[in-house]
Amino acid sequence: MLTIPTRAEVVRQVRERGERVAAVLPIHYPRALLRAHGFQPMEVWGPPSVSVVEGNAHFQAYTCGIVRNATSFLLQGGLDAADVIVIPHTCDALQGMASVLKDFIEPRQPVATIYLPRAARSADRGFLQAELHRLAQQLAEISGRSPSGGELMAAIEREEEADRELGALAEHRSEIDLGDRDYFTLLRAREFLPAESFIELARSAPRGRGPDRGVPLMISGIVPEPMDLFDHINEMGAHVVADDLACCSRRLYRPGSASDPFERMADALLGGPLDPTRGSPILERARAVASRMAQCGAKGLLVYDVKFCEPELFDVPLLRKHLTEAGLSMLHVEFDMTGSIAQQTLTRIEAFVEMLQ
Amino acid sequence: MGEAKWIGIDAGSTTCKAVAVDAAGDLIASRIEPAHPVIEDQAARLVDELRAEAGAGGEVPVVATGYGRKLVRGATRNITEITCHARGVFRALKQPGMLVDIGGQDTKVIVIGPGGRAVDFMMNDKCAAGTGRFLEHSAARLSVAIEDLGPRALGAVGEESISSTCTVFAESEIISLVARGAKVDAILLGLHRSLISRVVAMIHSVGLRSPLMLSGGVARNLAARAMLEQATGQKLHLPEHPQLMGAYGAALVGLESGADR
Amino acid sequence: MNPKSYLAYTLGYQLFGKSFLSWQRHSDERKLRAIRPAPDDPLNPPLVGTARMKELMSRHYLEGRYANGVRKVAWVTSGAPIEVLRALDFFLIYPENHAALCGARRHAEGLAVEAENAGYSRDICSYARTDIGAALSGRTPMGKLPRPDLLVCCTNICQTVLYWYRVLAAHFGVPLYVVDTPFLYEKVADHQLDYVLEQIEGLIPVAEKVAGRRVSRGRLQEIMEQGKDCAELWLEIMDRAQHRPSPITAFDGFINMGPIVDLRGEPETFAFYKELLREIDRRIEQGVGAIRDERKRVLWDNLPVWYKIGKLSRHLGAKGVNVIVSTYTYAWGELAPMMDASDPMRSAARVYLHPILNRSTGDKLRSMREMVARFQLDGAILHSDRSCKPYSLGQIDQRDNLANDLGVPAVLLEADHNDPRVYSDEQADARLDAFVETMEAA
Repeated sequence: MLTIPTRAEVVRQVRERGERVAAVLPIHYPRALLRAHGFQPMEVWGPPSVSVVEGNAHFQAYTCGIVRNATSFLLQGGLDAADVIVIPHTCDALQGMASVLKDFIEPRQPVATIYLPRAARSADRGFLQAELHRLAQQLAEISGRSPSGGELMAAIEREEEADRELGALAEHRSEIDLGDRDYFTLLRAREFLPAESFIELARSAPRGRGPDRGVPLMISGIVPEPMDLFDHINEMGAHVVADDLACCSRRLYRPGSASDPFERMADALLGGPLDPTRGSPILERARAVASRMAQCGAKGLLVYDVKFCEPELFDVPLLRKHLTEAGLSMLHVEFDMTGSIAQQTLTRIEAFVEMLQ
Repeated sequence: MGEAKWIGIDAGSTTCKAVAVDAAGDLIASRIEPAHPVIEDQAARLVDELRAEAGAGGEVPVVATGYGRKLVRGATRNITEITCHARGVFRALKQPGMLVDIGGQDTKVIVIGPGGRAVDFMMNDKCAAGTGRFLEHSAARLSVAIEDLGPRALGAVGEESISSTCTVFAESEIISLVARGAKVDAILLGLHRSLISRVVAMIHSVGLRSPLMLSGGVARNLAARAMLEQATGQKLHLPEHPQLMGAYGAALVGLESGADR
Repeated sequence: MNPKSYLAYTLGYQLFGKSFLSWQRHSDERKLRAIRPAPDDPLNPPLVGTARMKELMSRHYLEGRYANGVRKVAWVTSGAPIEVLRALDFFLIYPENHAALCGARRHAEGLAVEAENAGYSRDICSYARTDIGAALSGRTPMGKLPRPDLLVCCTNICQTVLYWYRVLAAHFGVPLYVVDTPFLYEKVADHQLDYVLEQIEGLIPVAEKVAGRRVSRGRLQEIMEQGKDCAELWLEIMDRAQHRPSPITAFDGFINMGPIVDLRGEPETFAFYKELLREIDRRIEQGVGAIRDERKRVLWDNLPVWYKIGKLSRHLGAKGVNVIVSTYTYAWGELAPMMDASDPMRSAARVYLHPILNRSTGDKLRSMREMVARFQLDGAILHSDRSCKPYSLGQIDQRDNLANDLGVPAVLLEADHNDPRVYSDEQADARLDAFVETMEAA
């Protein structure tokens, strides 16, 4: 069994080191830039079990649950430990959240945004580098710390190493001797642990023969909340052999080679795995998912989407069509960002597992 | 008629069904009742009744399905409605194809492959539009008995279009139609149309296949049947006991598992 | 160019089609002039100029039927930098406008169902569902849409278009060019301008390759000038609503905005709006308002509810409420001052970064507050549009600010721009009636 520090413990350690905390919303952002400026990123993907009264006072009921819950969480004091709130421009919902925070809610912490280009042409690279410089300046103003090029490069290399460890965990799922829930808890520790702690943790994960029970599934979507999902899946007689989750495998950035730190960070963000929020062509993505499923022996793809997630929804029909043609099955279900999963949703997943048995 | 070998219980949201099968897999006894809030007790009672009616005096193993399946005490297994409906209808109609099951809370479209396995399926989202509840709710609002819904809709002169598929919105639409003096039967016809359009969308998103089969409580509704045939251009095949197919399938799954007694 | 297509184009569109539509316009004009509204109709007779709008739009879609094989076709988002494409003589289809026409003509639901049947969720924008349904089924009330040779998507209105155009790219198997416009949380920065400029420049070789010809910078400048003229004229029309009683309603704006979106910069568009402005000015001279008894003047925020335009204008008109201006129609004119034909590319970059949908929620509130003052408004209806997240997110705070800080009664109207199935007349009417009562008590 692994011992993973809690978020509260990490906050304490960060404070003891004289550093700050950045609350970061999904999905892609330059971790190394934050670290080098003295901020430990702590990601906010919901969280699922908060009352959404406060969020509903600012956002309509048809708004993504991540936005409504995160807003509630902030207003309930859940992000009090943070010194800055970073909101990447991931989608229209997070755009709205960042804008409402800056213009209306005006939290105690400054709100920093970052715009991520939807393609990877030379114009996009150039822009993202400039955007990273702008963010760097904003972070420096908040923390009073301007890292040297060398310090920045050291932070980048540390994050690249952590990504390599994450990649190894994802690649060799079958050799990690952890149940699904523990395994994904480990992957998701990357959301709040400093890179060096994550590297250590990942290396200490028990190797051997991984769980090999029941129907092998691959899971796709933004975030698997609540994590009870994995217990349910196991009880139904299935297990998860690979993921295409925004919080996990869609962030396996390749290590860069550029010597300029900003160029290197921009390349990593733009060259990451295929992701609908980054504008990846649908068929290319469908082919990648199918080949990953074949590689790890997954019989079915469970697309587990947070309700109202347009970037995910647009891909569903063509993804399904492509997988069906490849002889693979797919189930698409949606969940509200709450503490429990609707019985009906579980029934559908269970029927899917029965179908694949 | 042989003695009961397996019992299937389908604990649904509106009704609770129980079926006993003999060694040949034939349906030899059944019960259907409105769902009781305490599912455990109701299921136990129905099992006892079937055992008394068709059992050989000893224990008869039980397979449970339906949304209350995990609350049925003493069940050997619990299996989802999707697998059970596919199995039950396949046995009753002896053909693969596409099954539409319109129940109280869920509507399912299931592609049944050779051997009676579900090979693909689609289920309505959380909203009640496109389920039996939509009609039931609206019928209550119009003070029409559920069994009269179909015949009255079929006998309607003219049709009032119901634009909302949302159960709550449709209710306010009904009230204003009534206030404007619209005929109840014409409103009923519009409600059926709205329901069927939602079901047809699900059929198409899986991909229409022949033969098209129908089960669930709404299968008894003549207007829904006629409209579904019209909208899909397919003749509907109905099992003899459309409401019992989930429970029947559950019993069959038990029988096929071979782990009896 | 394909000779057979060219022949069909000449006969069907140039010779027969245009004359028929012109004849139809004359007949429509006669009918519009003859309208004597019923004594209980709260609205004054409609604008006769609308007949010309119908002719322009019908002609555009008619040409579209014959365009493949004759002109290169690009499908573009409403905020795409089309100057380059126009300079290369592309025929342009605006799927959003097509979807809106389907919505106004009550065809959107049937087409959306086609997309839903193919697995596109009902939580996807109803414009996208309408158009994807049209592409999948080949059905459209406009007869037939030409296949695209190129897709150009600009994210200055939403990210939805990016996802939607990827579906179109997969469906048609044609190149997709994305012009990505960073959202302006704050004032525009140089690196944002440079980025958009570089992408608009980058569109030139892509479009030239498809068109098989080179773009002339002189022509580009000319097109920019025409675009600016049209936008200024449109703005002038919108601004006529400052008169009391207002000679136009926001609904008139919705109905007549097709040409400023689809045919902006075309000489005929300019002529049409010139004529429309003359008609509006005659109303002002005669002291005629768009509604008979204008007691309250109101702002509309967000897209229209296309399938309820007539119903809403009558329902509100009967209560003496004139919805005179909207942030949405205004968006097609308000950037005219930014257009600078002497520096066409850089000014295009600036303009395409600044649509209301690409500006912050606070900036949108400032725009609304300015409109309240300039048009002397008594209230605001904020259409909370389930299908348009970037326009709608922020409205709860914007409404609170208008109502509480500015003291202007404001209401959130829950609806959807193109999907009638999520609209409830009863709920909407109740909400609007309560809003009118609040204005009357204020």
